[in-house]
Amino acid sequence: MSQSSLSFALPSPVRYGPRLGTITLRRGADTASSIIIATPGLLASTSRGAVPHLSRDHVRITDALRWVNVPFETFLEQTPPIPILHAQHPSNASNPHPLHTFLGFDESRHLLSISAREPTDTREMPPNGNALVCVHSLRGVRKLAPAEWAAYARIAQPDVVLALSDTPCTDAPYSQKRLTKSVERSAAWLATLLRPGPIPMPLPIPKKLKAQPVAAAAPAQPAVALPPTPPVFVHLAGLTSLPARKAFAASLLEPLYGPHITALAPLKTLDEGVAGYTIDLAPLKAALSALPDTPSPSAAAVSPSEDPEAHIAALLRASLTALPPSKPRLVTGTTSPHEVLRLIATVGADVFDARWAQRAADVGVALDFAFPVRGERTPREIGHNLYDVRYRLDFGCFSDALPAPHTTATAPEAGTPTCPCAACAPRPPPARLYHGHDAPSVSGEPEKDPARVLPAYTRAYVHHLLHTHEMSAHALLAAHNLAVLDAFFAGVRGVLSASAAGVEGGPVEDAGLFAKEVRAFEEAYDPRMGVLVEAEAAWRAVDTARGKGRLSRETGAGEGEGVAPADAA
Amino acid sequence: MRFEVIAKCHTTKARVARMTLAHGVTMLPTFMPVATQAAIKGLTSNQMEALGVTLILNNTYHLNLRPGLEVLSKAGGAHKFQGWDRNLLTDSGGFQLVSLSKFTVITEEGALFASPFTGEPTMLTPEESISIQHIIGADIIMQLDDVVSSLTTGSRVEEAMERSVRWLDRCIVQHESSGKKDNQNLFAIVQGGLDPSLRDRCLDAMIARRDGVAGYAIGGLSGGEEKDVFWRVIKQCADKLPEDRPRYSMGIGFAEDLLVCVALGVDMADCVFPTRTARFGVALTNDGPLNLKLSKHAKEFKPIDESCPCPTCSDMTSRAILHHLVTHETAGAHALTLHNVVFQAQVMGRAREAIIAGTFPDYLLSFFARYYGDAGYPEWCVNALRSVGVDLLEGSPNAKIVAGSGTKWEYASANP
Ligand SMILES: [Zn+2]
Ligand SMILES: [Zn+2]
Repeated sequence: MSQSSLSFALPSPVRYGPRLGTITLRRGADTASSIIIATPGLLASTSRGAVPHLSRDHVRITDALRWVNVPFETFLEQTPPIPILHAQHPSNASNPHPLHTFLGFDESRHLLSISAREPTDTREMPPNGNALVCVHSLRGVRKLAPAEWAAYARIAQPDVVLALSDTPCTDAPYSQKRLTKSVERSAAWLATLLRPGPIPMPLPIPKKLKAQPVAAAAPAQPAVALPPTPPVFVHLAGLTSLPARKAFAASLLEPLYGPHITALAPLKTLDEGVAGYTIDLAPLKAALSALPDTPSPSAAAVSPSEDPEAHIAALLRASLTALPPSKPRLVTGTTSPHEVLRLIATVGADVFDARWAQRAADVGVALDFAFPVRGERTPREIGHNLYDVRYRLDFGCFSDALPAPHTTATAPEAGTPTCPCAACAPRPPPARLYHGHDAPSVSGEPEKDPARVLPAYTRAYVHHLLHTHEMSAHALLAAHNLAVLDAFFAGVRGVLSASAAGVEGGPVEDAGLFAKEVRAFEEAYDPRMGVLVEAEAAWRAVDTARGKGRLSRETGAGEGEGVAPADAA
Repeated sequence: MRFEVIAKCHTTKARVARMTLAHGVTMLPTFMPVATQAAIKGLTSNQMEALGVTLILNNTYHLNLRPGLEVLSKAGGAHKFQGWDRNLLTDSGGFQLVSLSKFTVITEEGALFASPFTGEPTMLTPEESISIQHIIGADIIMQLDDVVSSLTTGSRVEEAMERSVRWLDRCIVQHESSGKKDNQNLFAIVQGGLDPSLRDRCLDAMIARRDGVAGYAIGGLSGGEEKDVFWRVIKQCADKLPEDRPRYSMGIGFAEDLLVCVALGVDMADCVFPTRTARFGVALTNDGPLNLKLSKHAKEFKPIDESCPCPTCSDMTSRAILHHLVTHETAGAHALTLHNVVFQAQVMGRAREAIIAGTFPDYLLSFFARYYGDAGYPEWCVNALRSVGVDLLEGSPNAKIVAGSGTKWEYASANP
C-alpha cells in the first residue's frame, strides 16, 4: 500500500561525536518527491495533533516544519481512536497517508511520526502493566496494549512509529529490579510492534485500568491483514542505570530465540527491524534528580550532581556502545541550544525536538540567536521576553541575529542570513480570495506580487498583543521560533561541513572548528535561559487562568471585555 | 473618498458600490471583521488579506489605552503598527466608554470617566476623539456620539440625539482644521433611539451637515430591542439618507440581519460575533451555525462546507479534527475564525453578485429557505423583506413563521 521508504545517509559514521547526515523519505518511485531532512536538524512537537498556534495555512509556509511528531494519547480518549476510524473510512480506501490527511500535513513536505505519549510529559502516572502502558488523555489515564499500538500504526500509516517503552512515571528513584523489568518489557513491546502478519480484529482493547494482559483476555479473533508496520524508532531504555542501558542495547542485538524466530522472520535480531533510536531526556532528567546525591559505585564516573550533562552523556554512550552507529538518533526533551550543541559534540545525536522553542512562543519569547555566533560576543540572552516594557516602543524585528529581510527600522547587512518566517518575512498571498464582484477587473486593483517581502511584524506590536491577550502574538512567535531553531541547525551543519572539508579526508569528530564555535556560543549566550523563566512569570501574571487547555486562557479576554493591567515596570 | 453606486436592485433598496479610500478599494455591501486590539483573533494581517478582506475595524477606546497614542504615533499609525495596508475604520471610543466604564458621566463638554489605569477623572471630548482617531490614522473615522441604550426611554433619548448633532458639529470643525481630510473620512452617527420622530429630526439635522461628512452610520441599535422595531428604524434611516453616501449599520453580524439590512439599503456592517463565536467552537454555514463542540461531530469526516473557499474547508479539515481541537488548542479556534470570516464575506459577496445580476430577490429567497429550513422563518425577516417587495413565503404559503429574534443556534444555551 504505502510505497514510502526511510533511509539515513551518514558519510562518516561517528559513534560519539558530531555527525552530518541526511534522512531521506522516499515516496513511491519518484525521487523528486522525496522529503530530505539534513541532520543535525529539528523535529516539531504537536499538541492534540496540531502544531501549537499555527493554522494550516501557516503550517504550509513554515519551512522549518519537515519532521512533525504527534503524540497519539490525546486521541485515545475514544475507542477506536478517531484517526483510526478516519483511516478505515471508505473514502480513505486508497489513501496511503490517511493520518497526514486527517491532521492537515502535506505528505510531500512533512515526515510524520507518532509516539504513544508526549515524550516530555513526566507527570506521575499509575504503573504500567506487563502488556499495558498508561497514557494521558483529557479524560484521564488510559491503558494502551502493545498489540493495539501496532495495529494503530499499521492502520494510520505515519512515516515513523515510535515503539512503546516502559518508562516508569511513578515514584522515583527506581530500583535496579524495576529498571530490569522496564528493559525486558520495552524489548517485548518492540517485538510486538515488529511482528508482521495479521492482527486479531477487532482489537482486544482493555476497558478498565486493571484489565488483564491482552494475551490472556483476548479470545480467538479473526485476523485481518493490515499494511506493513511503518519504520520503527525505539527508545533506548534503562533510564539512570548503566547496566540496564547496556542490557537493553544487548537485547536489541541478541539473536532472536524461541517463538520470536518465526514470529519476526526474516529478522534475525530486534535491531534489524529498527530504523532509528530515540532518547527521551525528560524522564531521564526527572529520574536523575530523584537519585540520592552520592553516586552508586556502578554509576558513571561523573556524579549527576557534579555535572549533570556529562553524566547524561555517559549514560547515553552506554546505550550506544554496542549499537550500530549508522542509525539516526532522535533526542526529545532538550531545553536549550547549549544542551543541543553538547549532545551533538559528545553523544552524536542527529535530530532534536523543538518543544522548548515552541514553548518559548507560548510564553511570549522571540528567540534571537544564531550559530556560529556573529558580531561582538558580549554575553546576551537567547531571546527577548516581549512582555517586558522595554519593547513597548521597539519597532525592530524579532531577532537581531537572524534579522527580517524588510523592517521598518533598520535594514540587515548584506549577506546576513534573514529570517524566512511568516512574522519576519510576510508576503502577499499567491492568490487571495474573492467573494463576488470584487475581482481586480472590478476594483481596478491588480493582485499584489507574492514575491514582494512586506515589512516585518515588530517587537512593539507583539508586546502589545501579549498584554492584550491576543492569540496572534503566539502564532507569530511560534512561526518565528521554529525558523530561528531551523537556522541554528543549518549553521551547525555549515560549521560541521566546513570543518570536515578543512580536515582533509579526516573524520568529522576531529573538528576543532566546531568545538571552537561551540565555546564561542557558550560565551555569547547565557546558558541559564533566564529569559524563559522571566517570560513564564510574566505570562502567568498577565493571565492566571490555567489548566483547562491552551485556549482557555485566551478566551477570557474577548473583544470589548476589559483591559489588562498596565505594564509592570 | 470616492463613492460610486454601480448597481441597484430592481426590487429592494439594495445596491452595489465601489468605495475608494486611501488604502484601496472596498466593494459594498461589505461586512467588516473587528480587530478590537489591532488583531483579528489569532490571525495575522496577511492572513486577513489572503481571505479577501479589504476593510477591518479597530476600537479607539482600546487602542487609546493599549498600546496608547505614543506607540501608535511612533509606529506611524495603526496600519503600520499591525501590518495592515488595506482600509481601516475606527469607532469614536464613546460606545465602549459607556459600556465598559462604570463611572462615565456625560456632560455637554464630553464624556467624563475614570481612567482604567490611574483612576484619574479623564474627559473624552468630541475634539479629542477626532484627534485620537487622526493619530490612529484610520481611513474612516466616527464622530463621538452620546450613546444611550436602545432600551432607554423618555427625555434622555431626545437629549442624547440633540447632543449627538451638536457634537457632530464639533467633530466636523476639528476634522476640517486637521489637514487630514484627504486621507481620513468622517462619518456621522444617526441617533434617536426607537422613536421615529426623533430619528426623523436627527436625520434632517445630520443630512443638513452632509458637506462635512463622508458617510452615515445608524447607531443606537443592536442593544436588545425588538427585531421588529430594529428593522423599521434601519429602513427609516436608510430610506432618508442621501444616495451618494455610504450607510453603515453598527453592530450587525448575524447572516439574516446582514441580508435584511442590505435589502433595506445598508452598505456596511460590523460585529465581533463571527470571530468570537469561532473561539467557542461555532462555525457559521449556509445551513445555520454548527457547534463543533457537540459530540455528534466527533466522527464526521466531511469539512464544515465542501463548497467554502476558506483555508480550513479547502484543505478538507474535517469536523472530527475540529471537534478534537476546538476549545483546547488555539489552532482550532484559528481554523474556525478563518472560516467564519470567509463565510461573512461570502454572504456579502454573493449579495453583490446577485444585485449586479438582477437576482437579489431570488438570492434572498434561496438563502433564507436553506438557512432556516424547517425551523421556520423569523416573522420580523418576513415583514422587513415584504416592506421592500420580497415575500419569503412566495410559493410556500404554508411555511412556518416564528416570533422572536429567530437567531439560529445549534444548542440551547447560546454562548455567542
Ligand atoms: Zn522570524
Ligand atoms: Zn470554510
